[in-house]
Amino acid sequence: MIEFPAADVPAAQIALEELDLIYAFIYARVGNRADAEDLTQQVALKAIPRLRAEAAAASIRAYLFATARSVLAGFWAHRFGLPEEELREDVAPPAQHPPPGPRAESGAAATRATRILEALPANYRRVLELRFLRGYSLKEVAAETGSTVGGIKVMQLRALRAAAKVETDA
Amino acid sequence: MPDDREQQSSERVERVARDLMAGKRLKIGPADASDRGAIMAAAALAGAREPFPRMPPAFRRRLQSALERGREPGVMSRRTALVAGLAAAVGAVTGAAMARLMPEPAAHPVGRGGGIQNRIPAVRWYDAGPLSAFKEGLPVRFQAGAVGTYLIRRGESVKALSSVCTHLPCELAWGAETSSFNCPCHNVAFDGDGFQITTPEGYPLPPLPQLDVRVTASGRVEVAGP
Repeated sequence: MIEFPAADVPAAQIALEELDLIYAFIYARVGNRADAEDLTQQVALKAIPRLRAEAAAASIRAYLFATARSVLAGFWAHRFGLPEEELREDVAPPAQHPPPGPRAESGAAATRATRILEALPANYRRVLELRFLRGYSLKEVAAETGSTVGGIKVMQLRALRAAAKVETDA
Repeated sequence: MPDDREQQSSERVERVARDLMAGKRLKIGPADASDRGAIMAAAALAGAREPFPRMPPAFRRRLQSALERGREPGVMSRRTALVAGLAAAVGAVTGAAMARLMPEPAAHPVGRGGGIQNRIPAVRWYDAGPLSAFKEGLPVRFQAGAVGTYLIRRGESVKALSSVCTHLPCELAWGAETSSFNCPCHNVAFDGDGFQITTPEGYPLPPLPQLDVRVTASGRVEVAGP
């Protein structure tokens, strides 16, 4: 668990401590370590040299999150060949960040996933739980639910589209 | 019954899901944009496997060292800065010279004749979509062959700027709040016309190279790339 640093620690040191939080935030949105590491590094290189030495921990966190949102929007926009503005709100609603503290952020990804899954019809929820949270292959999900691989593949798509809608409507 | 389109989407999304669950990087491109909601939801669910992942120690060490290198303006010797600036300037000048050497691209692939055309490999126009899809002044990332660009609508015409920083070969990201192209590798930014936004600690960089761009009679935006 990250502890709040002492008030007299220079801004760059505080930011370094906060990067665990940024890493968790990014990982929860790209779903893999390699991309999460690249993007966290981009946030660090972009934000830390711009910090004022006397900046307060709360404003450093706010700046890191703003940078993380912008880097994430850039990542998706670049990959999909779309304008960043179109993706900014999908990446992370600004109202939720920065969080009040590391403890509040801890488990946020799981809470978010639970919220999404709970809003879905039972059959969609079951497929996504098995596939993503329990790591089943498509074949294993098909066996577990008594369906075909092709059927589950399409249901997975429909369930993910419905999940995306839950995120947008939230 | 799913139609062909849904079938294709389900294949695409499953490919992404498989990679994510194997812990691999996201391999997605503009062809996947129509499924972006599903893909981003898949990434979010895959990211929920670890409620609060910590940075791996090896990455933490790499990051620390990258940050030390990233503070170059403060620690970089004047000589290094001059060499870096010179290299960037040479790159930009070479780019400009190449741009001048580029033949007027034809609507069809360039022929195999002699002279200048032989020196420019496979120059062609890349379709970037209808002009009406571009919002005034809002850059859109576009890949023109091997060259990454930002396309910016200016009235009835479009400007194409290289998407790579003229300092280090890092992909620039458009920041809407600052209306600037920001380099993720260094504290460097360029304005919407491709000119560097100077900062007190920065060193001067050449502007972003431009690519030829045209709007066809049918209102399509086309960019010349290799």
